[in-house]
Amino acid sequence: MLSVSEMRFGYSGEDTLKSIGFAVGPGEFVALMGPNGSGKTTMMRCINRVLKVRGGSIEIGGDDVLSLSLEDLAKVCATVPADASLDFVLTVRDFVSLGRSPYVTNIWWDSREDEEMVDRALRDFGIAGYAGRRLSEVSSGERARVLLAKGVVQTPKVMLVDEPSAHLDIKYKIQVMEILKKLSRKGLSIVIASHDINLLTRFCDRVMLLSRGRIVGYGPPAEVVTEESIREVFDIEVKTVMSDGVVYVLPTGSTMDLDL
Amino acid sequence: MTNAEGGPADAEMLAGNTVIRGTAHLKRRMAAAIALGMASMLLLYVFSLTMGAYSLSFAGAWDAMVEIIKNGGPQSTDAKVLFFSRMPRSLCVIMVGAGLAAAGAVMQALIRNPLVDPYITGISSGASFGVLLFTIGGASLGALVNANYVIPVVAVIGAIAAFMLTMTVAEISGGRAMSYVLGGAVITMGLSAGTTLITSFNIDELHSVSIWLFGSFADLRWEQAGIIFFPILLVLLFLLCNARSLNKMLLGEEQAHSLGMNARTYKRNMMIVVAALTALCVAFCGVIGFVGLIVPHLTRMIVGGDHRMLLPTAMIVGANILLAADIFCKSALSYVELPIGAIISVVGVPLFIYIMAKEGRKYAM
Repeated sequence: MLSVSEMRFGYSGEDTLKSIGFAVGPGEFVALMGPNGSGKTTMMRCINRVLKVRGGSIEIGGDDVLSLSLEDLAKVCATVPADASLDFVLTVRDFVSLGRSPYVTNIWWDSREDEEMVDRALRDFGIAGYAGRRLSEVSSGERARVLLAKGVVQTPKVMLVDEPSAHLDIKYKIQVMEILKKLSRKGLSIVIASHDINLLTRFCDRVMLLSRGRIVGYGPPAEVVTEESIREVFDIEVKTVMSDGVVYVLPTGSTMDLDL
Repeated sequence: MTNAEGGPADAEMLAGNTVIRGTAHLKRRMAAAIALGMASMLLLYVFSLTMGAYSLSFAGAWDAMVEIIKNGGPQSTDAKVLFFSRMPRSLCVIMVGAGLAAAGAVMQALIRNPLVDPYITGISSGASFGVLLFTIGGASLGALVNANYVIPVVAVIGAIAAFMLTMTVAEISGGRAMSYVLGGAVITMGLSAGTTLITSFNIDELHSVSIWLFGSFADLRWEQAGIIFFPILLVLLFLLCNARSLNKMLLGEEQAHSLGMNARTYKRNMMIVVAALTALCVAFCGVIGFVGLIVPHLTRMIVGGDHRMLLPTAMIVGANILLAADIFCKSALSYVELPIGAIISVVGVPLFIYIMAKEGRKYAM
């Protein structure tokens, strides 16, 4: 579904993303894992063309992403940010319906089909009860579902999700991951960037380990996430534990080298 | 799909039984606000026609207006007074009120901060400085061409030049909302210094300069009204057609981009449109601040932030507020007309401080 080959990017001078190549199949749930500055968010911003790549190719469903119009790209690739701007008083429904923007042909009100699709998403994500509330009036956990609902009504083939659970408590972190897992089982290809290694290993089909703009591992979590690879990439001692076939990481080392 | 919380309320939603409140209540509010606003605008408009040295009752003004519409022009003395001196002025007040309110709402969406408007970002001052330069320095040019046609052009040039300067200062200092406010303040100070210098060399023009500085609709006739009415109307219609895109801009450039729009280019182009709209508004009546700041804020409290509802409502509210302010300026003192820009500022400054104190912390300054 998503195929990236020889992708390079740099802000100035040296490449910060170096010859990135990978493929994500239909319905696959893929985790981007790596330390701060390893290139996770930059990679997503290259795929959705917020940043201009220096070279390589990106395809979604056989379409060349680099030659699609931005509107056509928005029909195949949705981006879900970590949180929404609360500066203005958009309602939950207004916000979700913005996901239909790439398809809208009416100059003013939404079409009946678009409205029905938004209503369905509001119900599916359990946010119909506060559809008329302002986005700033719902909790962080509810807002995370609103953000996902907006991505879903965009009916993309690929969804890029950046740090969706950074500000959520453990219940909502799991809820977000369960929602994403279900969406992927329905055929949506999902790429998620997060620092929550254990959530990623529990829910994702494959893990891509990034270090200094390079892919250093890509495969099933149990194969990629090892004590050696985490030590190598994150520079921290860890122990790995298997439970119900899932690999979990327990930090055991220390980073403290300051004489305070 | 099922909901992870799995509570009874959610189960009901998943069963499809939940009534989705959505935005129907906001649409009803918008319809009510526009209907009431149109009715009050008509009443204020006729009331404003009664104001002036030549005495006219409300019924007399109404009859004269009906006569003008029926006959396609004025015949009686009452109708002539209305048609040639008062109607163009009040029509301009309506258009300028709607235009400044819309310009403020659009600028706030583009910069993603409700604490900015064309006045604060220096655009209004740029337009009026352009006009001042022309009226004082371009007398010889004025002899060659009709000044009424040149004034809106120099206003637009001044506004866009000021906007470019503000935008450059804001972008090189981080591009945040506070950068625009500070950049606008600096540019406004510079333009104010320029105005003082020009005036000090042309002390005879002090009175006409003060009209530009404080704002006044007193001298507007059909010659000026005809020039700004349709361009402002066209820009307002264009902005209404952009309501959906402005909603996307509320999400920020990156999210707007992921919804299929070239947000950076769109923002730049729309800022130029806003600068031109502001320039048309202040071209003949001078600087009127705070309408673009206060009106969108008040309107958001009624109909929310969706620009499909915010923009038309803000236009109507802006027209009403400026019309009411103009009536006050004409009627407060019997011997002199108060400058409308100063009166709006007297009300606008404390309101701005209130909004800033109440909401300023919420925004990425």
